[in-house]
Amino acid sequence: MKHFLVIFIGVLLFGQAFAETKRFTIPLEGSPSQGPQDAPVTIVEFIDYQ
Amino acid sequence: MEKIVATYKKNVRLLIKFYPYKYRDFARISAEAALAASDQGKFWEMHHLLLKKSPDLDRDRLVAYAKGLGLDVEKFKSALDSHKNAGIIDRDLKLALDLDLYNTPTFFINGRKIVGNVPYDYLRKIVQEELNAVKP
Repeated sequence: MKHFLVIFIGVLLFGQAFAETKRFTIPLEGSPSQGPQDAPVTIVEFIDYQ
Repeated sequence: MEKIVATYKKNVRLLIKFYPYKYRDFARISAEAALAASDQGKFWEMHHLLLKKSPDLDRDRLVAYAKGLGLDVEKFKSALDSHKNAGIIDRDLKLALDLDLYNTPTFFINGRKIVGNVPYDYLRKIVQEELNAVKP
């Protein structure tokens, strides 16, 4: 039983280390923006003012 | 987020999408106010003001804020009352629902999703990771 647990945790850690970061594609046209169009980092913020 | 933009000026582009929560009275009208200010070239001024003044966002106050920013108040009111920019808000809302967003703010940093008012250092860490990935 103990062995199974060790293997299970091992697989879990291995999986996490090699997991690709999930990336979403967000359409950008027609939204207020600031900063250079060709900036290496694009941040989309969903906002509720209230 | 203001601090991130100021820190990474040349390397960061920030875009705003609207996700007004439907059960809050002034969520939608304040998004309309931001876009009405945008029509007059003052989106960011209004955006920051709304964040600062929240939750004081009823129509009268919004009009007062517009006046304070030197906007054409009649044009501003007419944009609010005719829901001139409703299409943009509806489009963003649909996108937010398609993405299963359940909280604001939600950020996507080069597509990486970050939910809620996370500490500045955490945002900075993600931005820095993304920068390091393109500029070794």
